[in-house]
Amino acid sequence: MAISATHAGRSYPPTAPYEVSAAKIAEFAAALGDDSPAYGGADPIAPPTFVAVISATAWESMFADPELDLALRRVVHGDQRFSYVRPLRAGDTIVATLTIDKVRVRAGSEIITSSVAVATVGGETICTAQSTFFHSREVAS
Amino acid sequence: MSVPTLDRASVGTELPELRVRFTRQTLVRYAGASTDFNPIHYSGYYAEKVGLPGVIAHGLLTMGSALRVVTDWVGDPTRVTGYFVRFTKPVVVPDDEDGTEVVFTAVVSAVDGTRVTVSIEAVADGQKVLGAARAEVELGEDA
Repeated sequence: MAISATHAGRSYPPTAPYEVSAAKIAEFAAALGDDSPAYGGADPIAPPTFVAVISATAWESMFADPELDLALRRVVHGDQRFSYVRPLRAGDTIVATLTIDKVRVRAGSEIITSSVAVATVGGETICTAQSTFFHSREVAS
Repeated sequence: MSVPTLDRASVGTELPELRVRFTRQTLVRYAGASTDFNPIHYSGYYAEKVGLPGVIAHGLLTMGSALRVVTDWVGDPTRVTGYFVRFTKPVVVPDDEDGTEVVFTAVVSAVDGTRVTVSIEAVADGQKVLGAARAEVELGEDA
Protein backbone atom coordinates (compact mmCIF):
# COMPACT_ATOMS: atom_id res chain seq x y z
CA MET A 1 0.00 0.00 0.00
CA ALA A 2 1.03 3.56 -0.58
CA ILE A 3 -0.59 6.90 -0.05
CA SER A 4 -3.09 7.80 -2.77
CA ALA A 5 -5.89 10.25 -3.50
CA THR A 6 -8.29 7.91 -1.69
CA HIS A 7 -6.66 8.88 1.63
CA ALA A 8 -8.14 12.39 1.47
CA GLY A 9 -10.48 12.79 4.41
CA ARG A 10 -8.56 10.43 6.67
CA SER A 11 -8.28 11.72 10.25
CA TYR A 12 -6.14 10.63 13.16
CA PRO A 13 -7.07 10.49 16.84
CA PRO A 14 -6.22 13.67 18.80
CA THR A 15 -2.69 13.84 20.19
CA ALA A 16 -2.13 13.33 23.92
CA PRO A 17 -3.05 16.51 25.85
CA TYR A 18 -0.13 18.96 26.02
CA GLU A 19 0.06 21.60 28.72
CA VAL A 20 1.61 24.88 27.59
CA SER A 21 3.96 26.10 30.32
CA ALA A 22 5.49 29.52 30.93
CA ALA A 23 8.91 27.84 31.00
CA LYS A 24 8.44 26.27 27.54
CA ILE A 25 7.15 29.56 26.14
CA ALA A 26 10.24 31.34 27.50
CA GLU A 27 12.50 28.66 25.99
CA PHE A 28 10.78 28.92 22.59
CA ALA A 29 10.89 32.73 22.54
CA ALA A 30 14.59 32.62 23.49
CA ALA A 31 15.25 30.16 20.66
CA LEU A 32 13.75 32.72 18.26
CA GLY A 33 15.80 35.48 19.91
CA ASP A 34 12.52 37.24 20.66
CA ASP A 35 12.48 39.31 23.86
CA SER A 36 8.92 40.61 23.48
CA PRO A 37 7.41 41.19 26.95
CA ALA A 38 4.27 39.37 25.75
CA TYR A 39 6.15 36.06 26.10
CA GLY A 40 7.25 36.65 29.72
CA GLY A 41 5.84 37.92 32.98
CA ALA A 42 2.98 36.50 34.99
CA ASP A 43 0.56 35.54 32.21
CA PRO A 44 2.55 34.93 29.02
CA ILE A 45 1.20 34.09 25.59
CA ALA A 46 3.18 31.87 23.24
CA PRO A 47 4.83 33.19 20.06
CA PRO A 48 2.39 32.53 17.18
CA THR A 49 4.51 29.78 15.59
CA PHE A 50 4.66 27.85 18.91
CA VAL A 51 1.59 25.93 17.65
CA ALA A 52 4.04 24.08 15.39
CA VAL A 53 5.25 22.17 18.47
CA ILE A 54 1.91 20.41 18.98
CA SER A 55 1.21 20.31 15.24
CA ALA A 56 4.42 18.35 14.71
CA THR A 57 3.15 15.63 17.03
CA ALA A 58 0.08 15.33 14.81
CA TRP A 59 2.23 15.30 11.62
CA GLU A 60 4.18 12.40 13.09
CA SER A 61 1.00 10.36 13.46
CA MET A 62 0.45 10.69 9.71
CA PHE A 63 4.08 10.01 8.78
CA ALA A 64 4.05 6.89 10.96
CA ASP A 65 0.81 5.50 9.48
CA PRO A 66 1.91 2.15 7.98
CA GLU A 67 -0.84 2.25 5.38
CA LEU A 68 0.58 5.40 3.81
CA ASP A 69 4.08 3.93 3.52
CA LEU A 70 5.85 7.28 4.00
CA ALA A 71 9.50 7.70 4.95
CA LEU A 72 10.13 10.77 7.09
CA ARG A 73 13.61 11.25 5.61
CA ARG A 74 12.02 11.73 2.19
CA VAL A 75 9.42 14.25 3.38
CA VAL A 76 9.98 17.94 2.62
CA HIS A 77 7.81 20.64 4.18
CA GLY A 78 6.56 22.71 1.22
CA ASP A 79 4.42 25.39 2.81
CA GLN A 80 2.72 26.26 6.06
CA ARG A 81 -0.28 28.34 7.05
CA PHE A 82 -1.46 29.13 10.57
CA SER A 83 -4.94 30.62 11.05
CA TYR A 84 -5.44 31.86 14.59
CA VAL A 85 -8.62 32.22 16.62
CA ARG A 86 -6.69 33.29 19.70
CA PRO A 87 -3.12 33.04 21.01
CA LEU A 88 -1.92 30.13 23.12
CA ARG A 89 -1.43 31.01 26.78
CA ALA A 90 0.53 29.39 29.58
CA GLY A 91 -1.85 27.02 31.31
CA ASP A 92 -3.73 25.98 28.15
CA THR A 93 -3.97 22.22 27.73
CA ILE A 94 -4.28 21.46 24.05
CA VAL A 95 -4.74 18.61 21.59
CA ALA A 96 -4.07 18.49 17.85
CA THR A 97 -6.14 16.54 15.36
CA LEU A 98 -4.87 15.93 11.84
CA THR A 99 -6.94 15.41 8.70
CA ILE A 100 -5.50 14.65 5.27
CA ASP A 101 -7.17 17.15 2.94
CA LYS A 102 -5.75 16.17 -0.42
CA VAL A 103 -3.22 13.84 -1.99
CA ARG A 104 -1.83 14.40 -5.46
CA VAL A 105 0.23 11.56 -6.90
CA ARG A 106 2.99 12.39 -9.37
CA ALA A 107 5.56 10.15 -10.98
CA GLY A 108 7.71 9.03 -8.05
CA SER A 109 6.29 11.49 -5.56
CA GLU A 110 3.21 12.63 -3.71
CA ILE A 111 1.99 16.06 -2.62
CA ILE A 112 0.07 15.84 0.64
CA THR A 113 -2.06 18.67 2.03
CA SER A 114 -3.10 18.33 5.66
CA SER A 115 -4.91 20.37 8.30
CA VAL A 116 -4.23 20.20 12.00
CA ALA A 117 -6.93 21.55 14.29
CA VAL A 118 -5.42 22.79 17.56
CA ALA A 119 -7.96 23.08 20.37
CA THR A 120 -8.10 23.08 24.14
CA VAL A 121 -9.17 19.87 25.84
CA GLY A 122 -12.39 21.78 26.54
CA GLY A 123 -13.03 22.04 22.79
CA GLU A 124 -12.12 25.69 22.22
CA THR A 125 -10.46 26.15 18.83
CA ILE A 126 -7.09 27.91 18.99
CA CYS A 127 -5.63 27.56 15.52
CA THR A 128 -5.70 25.62 12.27
CA ALA A 129 -2.35 24.63 10.81
CA GLN A 130 -2.45 23.77 7.10
CA SER A 131 0.62 22.23 5.52
CA THR A 132 1.83 20.92 2.21
CA PHE A 133 4.39 18.13 2.29
CA PHE A 134 6.30 16.66 -0.64
CA HIS A 135 7.16 12.99 -0.36
CA SER A 136 9.47 11.27 -2.83
CA ARG A 137 9.35 7.56 -3.45
CA GLU A 138 12.46 5.49 -3.08
CA VAL A 139 13.93 4.70 -6.48
CA ALA A 140 14.33 0.94 -6.91
CA SER A 141 17.96 0.17 -7.56
CA MET B 1 2.58 47.99 23.78
CA SER B 2 1.55 50.51 21.17
CA VAL B 3 -0.19 49.09 18.15
CA PRO B 4 0.34 51.04 14.91
CA THR B 5 -2.75 52.99 13.96
CA LEU B 6 -4.29 52.49 10.56
CA ASP B 7 -3.00 55.82 9.29
CA ARG B 8 0.52 54.44 9.76
CA ALA B 9 -0.30 51.32 7.77
CA SER B 10 -1.15 51.94 4.14
CA VAL B 11 -0.23 49.82 1.16
CA GLY B 12 3.48 50.29 0.59
CA THR B 13 4.39 51.06 4.21
CA GLU B 14 7.78 49.48 4.88
CA LEU B 15 8.41 47.83 8.23
CA PRO B 16 11.81 48.10 9.96
CA GLU B 17 14.25 45.49 8.64
CA LEU B 18 15.37 42.64 10.90
CA ARG B 19 18.70 40.84 10.60
CA VAL B 20 19.08 37.52 12.39
CA ARG B 21 22.19 35.37 12.55
CA PHE B 22 21.70 31.60 12.63
CA THR B 23 24.64 29.63 14.01
CA ARG B 24 24.78 25.96 14.92
CA GLN B 25 23.95 27.05 18.46
CA THR B 26 20.78 28.75 17.21
CA LEU B 27 19.74 25.49 15.55
CA VAL B 28 20.44 23.41 18.65
CA ARG B 29 18.43 25.81 20.80
CA TYR B 30 15.52 25.72 18.36
CA ALA B 31 15.67 21.92 18.15
CA GLY B 32 15.34 21.68 21.92
CA ALA B 33 12.66 24.33 22.23
CA SER B 34 10.55 22.97 19.37
CA THR B 35 11.38 19.27 19.98
CA ASP B 36 12.27 18.92 16.27
CA PHE B 37 15.36 16.72 16.51
CA ASN B 38 15.75 15.88 12.82
CA PRO B 39 19.55 15.43 12.58
CA ILE B 40 19.79 17.39 9.30
CA HIS B 41 19.55 20.45 11.56
CA TYR B 42 22.71 19.66 13.56
CA SER B 43 24.69 16.87 11.89
CA GLY B 44 26.65 17.37 8.67
CA TYR B 45 26.86 13.60 8.32
CA TYR B 46 23.08 13.17 8.18
CA ALA B 47 22.50 16.32 6.13
CA GLU B 48 24.88 15.14 3.41
CA LYS B 49 23.45 11.64 3.55
CA VAL B 50 20.10 12.99 2.32
CA GLY B 51 21.74 15.10 -0.38
CA LEU B 52 21.80 18.50 1.33
CA PRO B 53 24.80 20.81 0.87
CA GLY B 54 25.19 20.91 4.66
CA VAL B 55 23.31 21.41 7.91
CA ILE B 56 20.20 23.50 7.31
CA ALA B 57 18.04 25.62 9.60
CA HIS B 58 14.58 24.37 10.56
CA GLY B 59 12.05 25.88 8.14
CA LEU B 60 9.90 26.76 11.12
CA LEU B 61 12.85 28.62 12.73
CA THR B 62 13.06 30.79 9.62
CA MET B 63 9.27 31.14 9.63
CA GLY B 64 9.17 32.06 13.32
CA SER B 65 12.05 34.52 12.96
CA ALA B 66 10.44 36.18 9.93
CA LEU B 67 7.27 36.88 11.86
CA ARG B 68 9.29 38.96 14.35
CA VAL B 69 9.42 41.69 11.70
CA VAL B 70 5.65 41.92 12.01
CA THR B 71 5.26 41.39 15.76
CA ASP B 72 8.07 43.87 16.54
CA TRP B 73 6.23 46.45 14.41
CA VAL B 74 2.74 45.74 15.69
CA GLY B 75 3.92 45.48 19.31
CA ASP B 76 1.18 43.09 20.35
CA PRO B 77 1.58 39.55 18.92
CA THR B 78 -2.06 38.71 19.69
CA ARG B 79 -2.96 40.90 16.67
CA VAL B 80 -1.63 38.27 14.25
CA THR B 81 -4.60 36.33 12.85
CA GLY B 82 -2.94 34.42 10.03
CA TYR B 83 0.49 33.59 8.68
CA PHE B 84 1.63 31.74 5.54
CA VAL B 85 5.03 30.87 4.12
CA ARG B 86 6.37 28.69 1.36
CA PHE B 87 9.71 27.06 2.14
CA THR B 88 11.50 27.70 -1.15
CA LYS B 89 15.17 27.27 -0.29
CA PRO B 90 17.00 25.81 2.70
CA VAL B 91 19.18 28.08 4.84
CA VAL B 92 22.56 26.36 5.06
CA VAL B 93 24.32 27.05 8.37
CA PRO B 94 28.07 26.36 8.47
CA ASP B 95 29.82 25.15 11.61
CA ASP B 96 31.74 28.35 12.37
CA GLU B 97 31.47 31.53 14.43
CA ASP B 98 29.52 33.54 11.85
CA GLY B 99 26.86 31.08 10.76
CA THR B 100 24.45 32.60 8.23
CA GLU B 101 22.72 35.96 8.38
CA VAL B 102 19.10 36.09 7.28
CA VAL B 103 17.69 39.50 6.35
CA PHE B 104 13.95 39.97 6.80
CA THR B 105 12.09 42.85 5.18
CA ALA B 106 8.36 43.47 5.01
CA VAL B 107 5.87 45.81 3.44
CA VAL B 108 2.14 46.37 3.89
CA SER B 109 0.59 44.77 0.81
CA ALA B 110 -3.15 45.08 1.51
CA VAL B 111 -5.49 46.93 3.83
CA ASP B 112 -9.07 45.73 4.22
CA GLY B 113 -10.89 47.70 6.89
CA THR B 114 -8.81 47.18 10.04
CA ARG B 115 -7.18 44.05 8.66
CA VAL B 116 -3.70 44.55 7.27
CA THR B 117 -1.69 42.08 5.20
CA VAL B 118 2.09 42.30 5.45
CA SER B 119 4.27 40.61 2.82
CA ILE B 120 7.62 39.39 4.11
CA GLU B 121 10.87 38.60 2.32
CA ALA B 122 13.69 36.54 3.77
CA VAL B 123 17.11 36.54 2.13
CA ALA B 124 20.16 34.45 3.06
CA ASP B 125 23.39 34.43 1.04
CA GLY B 126 21.69 36.65 -1.53
CA GLN B 127 18.85 34.21 -2.16
CA LYS B 128 15.21 34.29 -1.18
CA VAL B 129 14.49 31.47 1.25
CA LEU B 130 10.75 32.03 1.76
CA GLY B 131 8.11 32.46 -0.92
CA ALA B 132 4.77 34.27 -0.79
CA ALA B 133 5.24 34.89 2.95
CA ARG B 134 2.50 37.03 4.41
CA ALA B 135 0.96 37.73 7.78
CA GLU B 136 -2.52 39.03 8.46
CA VAL B 137 -2.80 41.48 11.35
CA GLU B 138 -5.91 42.94 12.98
CA LEU B 139 -5.20 46.59 13.85
CA GLY B 140 -8.71 47.54 14.93
CA GLU B 141 -9.61 48.57 18.48
CA ASP B 142 -10.45 45.71 20.83
CA ALA B 143 -9.14 43.10 18.41
